[in-house]
Amino acid sequence: MRVLNKALFAAGCMIAATLPAHAKDFTVGLSWNAMDNQLPVKWQEYLQSEGAKQGAAADVNFKWVINVADADPTRQAANIEDLINQGVDLIIARAEDAAAIGASIRAAKEAGIPFMTFDRESSTTKPTVHVGGDSFDQGKTTAEAFVALLKDRGVTGKCIELQGSLTDVNAMNRSKAWHEVTDNSGVVTTLVSVPTEWNPDLFRSGTVNALRANPDANCMFLASDFALSAVQSALEGADRWAPRGDAKHVWIATQDVFPEAVTAMQGGFIDVGTTYDAYAHAQEAIRVAIELAKGEDANCPDGVCLAKGRLATQENIGTLENLWSRPAN
Amino acid sequence: MRDNQSTSFGQLARRHGFLIVLVAIFAVFTLATDHFATFGNFIAMLHAMAPVVVMSCGMALVVLAGKLDISIGSVAFLSSTFAVLLMNNHGVPPVVAFAVTLAAGAALGALNGFIVVGLGINPLIATLGTMIALRGVALQLTNAVLIPLPESVRSLGNLSIGPIFVDILVAAVVVIAADQLHRRTVFGRQLNAIGNGEEVAAKIGIPVGRRVFVAFVLSGLFASIGGIMSLIQVGSISAYLGRGMEFTAVAVVVVGGISLFGGRGTILPGVVLGALTFEMIANGLNQMSANPYAYRLVTGAIIFVAMYVDAMKSGRIRSRRKKLAVRDEPGRSTGTIAETTSRP
Repeated sequence: MRVLNKALFAAGCMIAATLPAHAKDFTVGLSWNAMDNQLPVKWQEYLQSEGAKQGAAADVNFKWVINVADADPTRQAANIEDLINQGVDLIIARAEDAAAIGASIRAAKEAGIPFMTFDRESSTTKPTVHVGGDSFDQGKTTAEAFVALLKDRGVTGKCIELQGSLTDVNAMNRSKAWHEVTDNSGVVTTLVSVPTEWNPDLFRSGTVNALRANPDANCMFLASDFALSAVQSALEGADRWAPRGDAKHVWIATQDVFPEAVTAMQGGFIDVGTTYDAYAHAQEAIRVAIELAKGEDANCPDGVCLAKGRLATQENIGTLENLWSRPAN
Repeated sequence: MRDNQSTSFGQLARRHGFLIVLVAIFAVFTLATDHFATFGNFIAMLHAMAPVVVMSCGMALVVLAGKLDISIGSVAFLSSTFAVLLMNNHGVPPVVAFAVTLAAGAALGALNGFIVVGLGINPLIATLGTMIALRGVALQLTNAVLIPLPESVRSLGNLSIGPIFVDILVAAVVVIAADQLHRRTVFGRQLNAIGNGEEVAAKIGIPVGRRVFVAFVLSGLFASIGGIMSLIQVGSISAYLGRGMEFTAVAVVVVGGISLFGGRGTILPGVVLGALTFEMIANGLNQMSANPYAYRLVTGAIIFVAMYVDAMKSGRIRSRRKKLAVRDEPGRSTGTIAETTSRP
């Protein structure tokens, strides 16, 4: 009998060893500040597809609980509180307000839940890790290329800057980088900085007002081109929407390179921009999430993992690889 | 002597306080910038504020009846969404698509009217609910992404007759129509009566429920017209369309001298001047290249001043002061909070 028991136990162990390992369930609470343009939609799509792909390779079964705060910081705090109460394994949040998200980070820490800020850093509290695009580098590469382009063409740039939301760290980083590069360039001067709060109406009216006040303006820096149609409308109203080579051309440096910007760049209306690489951000976020799921070091210097964008110009816009915003992709 | 001076200043502020503020804003920006007081800039301001003016007209009719409609931004968003989807996905001609938008705006206004009048729910709560729900539907329909308009429609945003943009003319027609409706018709006078006291209005035979219902329908209709104008100006629909418009419209109405307590004020020139005040601030600060954080501070201060003037007009402050003075007199009984803050 004892021999039989031993034999059965050994057989059981052998069968268990040959079965595939059961993937570990890992629930991610994903808190969006808003789904107000194509970028969050793409991010979510890529996060889920990368979660399935990288997760399968690492034996981590990603499950998602997703909520959206409709650009309301208070609602986002309540949404994250809900995620904490549901006991998710990781919270990924794109902050509406860089300062207000700090309270949610602290609440998650107290509950023992790791917190990843995504795309927008907290200005008040350090999360477990931050993953996003390098928005300062984004502004810097664009500004440097723009200065070089204008210098090459013998143009002295007098620019209108359309800023993003003042509570968005990325918007502030882009503005800071723009000024750092251009203010002492001797080629580009910023005549006026207009806050838009990421509102297309303000992109339009801000451009109209700034052109009225500065009729000699000949260039623009857009903190994002997601609302390009509003800027285009304003420039058309002023008879200044014209491709490079036309005397009425307004030189435009932009950020993100959304689908409308791809078309405008291909048409010669936008001169330079730096992409915001949604796919690279999502890939990195999932890599870090898997490390956290395994309890390992995410290998992010100072808790920050940033993916750089790529410089887009009229010359290379048709050939940049994996550009999410180009229609063919 | 000092009493006389303070009284005359108080009267001046009550009667013309808003105009004094408007002239002061104009003077400051004219002196501080080179291009503020120009014909071209004035037209640009009228162009930018046209959608706000139209939406505020609808809000004004509701406020005059002593109610509030904070769903107008969402109504504008959802009704405009229908037009964009019909044009982009189904090739519907723009005229038909915009007719659907207007019908949708009126229908959504009717929904608000039904909830307020039919179900007896507080207008603030009712329209808060529809504000959230309608925006949710629109976000679902648009997948929350920015959708550009067809090129032929987008170009209408800059359509002009001579130097005047067409949407300024549209806004002018809507404002005049709304003002005439308010001043010259039985409906308008009944709205005032309802705003001054619903129970009394009902007692003298005014069909309060029906009039309030129609006010909400018109508010929805005007919201959809404003939505179309905003849509065409920007050249695309995005989740930002109409966002915060309800509060802008309330601010415009109050700054324009229409009492938030109902029953008092005029659409023309009140709404136009109210919208012009905010547009002048935005335009002037833009031209001055002011600190971006200054915009909200200045706008908030203007709203506060307007509310204070409104409160003074309503006699609330005077009433409170008088009653406090009476209370403080030796041998007098103490007034309650309810007494001192109740509407005269």
